[in-house]
Amino acid sequence: MGKSEILGIMHNAIQKPRNTYLDQWVAEGRKVVGYYCTYIPEEIFTAAGFLPYRLRGAGSDSSSEGDAYMSARVCTFVRHTISLALRGELDFLDGVVLAQNCDHIRRAADLFRKKVKPAFYGFLSIPRVPKERLFDWYLAELRRLKAEMEAHYSIAITEQNLEDAIELHNATRQRVNKLYELRKREAPPITGQEALTITVAAHVMPRAEFNSLMDDLLADLERAGGNGDYRARVIVTGGVMDEPEYLAAIEQQGALSVAEMVCFGQRSFGGPVESGPGDPLERIARQRFFQVPCARMVECFDEQFSELMKRMKEYKADGIIFQRMKFCDPWAGDAHNLYWRMKEAGIPFLSLDREYRVTAAGQVKTRVQAFLEQMGK
Amino acid sequence: MSILGKERKTDWEVVYEGVNGLMDLYSEDPDSRGMNAILKGFRSFVDGLFGAIDEGRPIVWHNCGCTPELIKGLEGVQSMPIEVLTVLQDLVGDVQYTMALIDAAEAHGLASEVCSIDKAAVGSILGGLYPEPACMLYHNTPCDSQIAAIKTAAALTGKPMRMMDVPYLYGDREVEYLARQMAEGIPFLEEHTGRRFSWDRFRQVCEESNRTAEYLRDWNDLRRHKPCPQVSKIVALCTALLVAFSGDPEGTAIARAFRDEARERIERGESAVEGGEMYRAVWYQDPVWWDLQFYDWMEAELKLVIPMDLFGYYAPEALIDTSTPETMLQGLARKSLRTLPMSRQFKGPIDNFIDDYLKMCAEYQADFGIFAGHVACKHGLGGIGLFREASREAGVPLLYFEFDMFDPRVTSAETIQAHIANFIEDVVKPRREMS
Repeated sequence: MGKSEILGIMHNAIQKPRNTYLDQWVAEGRKVVGYYCTYIPEEIFTAAGFLPYRLRGAGSDSSSEGDAYMSARVCTFVRHTISLALRGELDFLDGVVLAQNCDHIRRAADLFRKKVKPAFYGFLSIPRVPKERLFDWYLAELRRLKAEMEAHYSIAITEQNLEDAIELHNATRQRVNKLYELRKREAPPITGQEALTITVAAHVMPRAEFNSLMDDLLADLERAGGNGDYRARVIVTGGVMDEPEYLAAIEQQGALSVAEMVCFGQRSFGGPVESGPGDPLERIARQRFFQVPCARMVECFDEQFSELMKRMKEYKADGIIFQRMKFCDPWAGDAHNLYWRMKEAGIPFLSLDREYRVTAAGQVKTRVQAFLEQMGK
Repeated sequence: MSILGKERKTDWEVVYEGVNGLMDLYSEDPDSRGMNAILKGFRSFVDGLFGAIDEGRPIVWHNCGCTPELIKGLEGVQSMPIEVLTVLQDLVGDVQYTMALIDAAEAHGLASEVCSIDKAAVGSILGGLYPEPACMLYHNTPCDSQIAAIKTAAALTGKPMRMMDVPYLYGDREVEYLARQMAEGIPFLEEHTGRRFSWDRFRQVCEESNRTAEYLRDWNDLRRHKPCPQVSKIVALCTALLVAFSGDPEGTAIARAFRDEARERIERGESAVEGGEMYRAVWYQDPVWWDLQFYDWMEAELKLVIPMDLFGYYAPEALIDTSTPETMLQGLARKSLRTLPMSRQFKGPIDNFIDDYLKMCAEYQADFGIFAGHVACKHGLGGIGLFREASREAGVPLLYFEFDMFDPRVTSAETIQAHIANFIEDVVKPRREMS
């Protein structure tokens, strides 16, 4: 299969809550567990024999069910996802595992527990400081989750299961990172919109199939020519972003997204989980806990900023487009700090507030056009 | 007005003048003992802060999710909640100054949806209104808006910061986790303040904190009395007391004044509402901090009293056991997790938030509840549907509206007054007539 066919498959996989791969998985009598955030390691679900399914609002045309329970001050990403769940469109889930990622998701968790009532409800209290001093707690939380899953589903998640899961997910990471490598080219063979389609698909389909598709795609991309017809290269960063059409609105103005440091983008993958020896769950926990931190984490802004600077160089980016879901407080703090640090560093920086599933293309286009002109592009 | 004989920034002089003016007004009023005590406490806090500045003593910033006992364990170190100026401006100064600080923070790039008190704190930092901290000690509660403010404060000051991770639940495992972090935070405080932590001093601080807690517990009991003996507005001040004065004799004096005033008024058969109370409501979520006279209006015009609100509800799960360093840290951790208003109700699952409300409605014999939804409290507003359902099931009528607790520009006093008056007329009164 070539690029366009594979991208077509992945595009289809992310349009609605269900996709053909998921349906096949369910038809085989296998279980699916939903989760919201990268700090909840997918490897545990894979090791249990389950499909990790990252919760999103795909295909949701209305947040009305969520609106009945939550004020309009809660972000639209959360209100759409919980609306899907309340409408029964996520009934294929055999369980959910949530965390106090932010105030909004914390309340969505209450609704899952009290209204959606999944067969299994797990919750992790994830520390907000990614320092060694709190790692033990995080690891203990993962051990607790594993034990609760084993008890609920009457299964054993063995060390070998975890090792196998590490291998599978590392294979995904290796492929996604290779895809990102190709984007460093002067003429990247793939757009930001396409790359985000791929990384979102990774979160809602079985990894073995995803990895196989990626092998074909990467082989095709290695040979393919690239797109050098852009006005500027940008890195898109900020919070949750699973709508490739939003990137399309940016890219249509000539700002090519060469890396997405967002949830569902590169931040959700990171480097490989270290190979053994040693407790595999601890190695998984280390990879997740000490990943490039997101805005919910504190005492680590310098690391976040350094990572962005590193990627600016690696991807030869001309500027940064920061996007944040309206009402998101964790990213509000970072938006302020990033703006001033970028200003000090002389790096062009555009900050966009947005709503989920509303591209507001006209507004985005105007802002991006102005940004490009400001950069002299 | 000078403070400790020196000219200070206008924002501080205005609140100092406000405190002194109110003290002059109320000091002779035997029925304002609680208000006078807290005014005296505020003045003492401002004096203490500027005294520390003048003497060059180290100052440690903290946030409203973090009471100052641990900091007070260091000899000669002044604690300062980053919200203090805003609280004082809204309560005893001039809310125009708060609005200017909010605007300054937004103009500097802090999103408008961040809590107004956090924006005002950032505005205070930007305006150079706060003394330079030796370091900062924070808890990640009660909300994400605090996280935004804390991260911004760290970036603006460049000063060392330590965050205590307050976990989701409230059990013994969580207490141990937080207590361990507190123990690990002590060397951090010592390093950056240059002052030694004394366990003896910390013990005295915890004992003082316990004395305050005991008075508050009694005061909470006394306010259950029908008719409510004391004015409504005083309950909103309890959290300010805990954040600024925990472990401080001034805090105990305020709590004792609250208690004594309530007790004596009950003995004299006095009601908070002149002419007798007609309605009682539990005020939940956040108070109208920019206009405490608002509560006077409710009492005078509607004969409505607020015997208790979320900020005044003190649920001492246990006092701090001061027998060993370990038990003291555990006790302080327990207080942070299970007692401190807002942190107790806001940070974990919705259950504490709802259960406390229903318990308060029952214990304080409320005719209805008022969910005053501060627009930035996304955790509260995110739970409004479940909250309403629980209220309905419990048979407690619930009024819900959104406003901003520190910024009157979002919803005016007149609008809130209309909400409450209409709700009584349309819901509470007919319900009473039917029963």
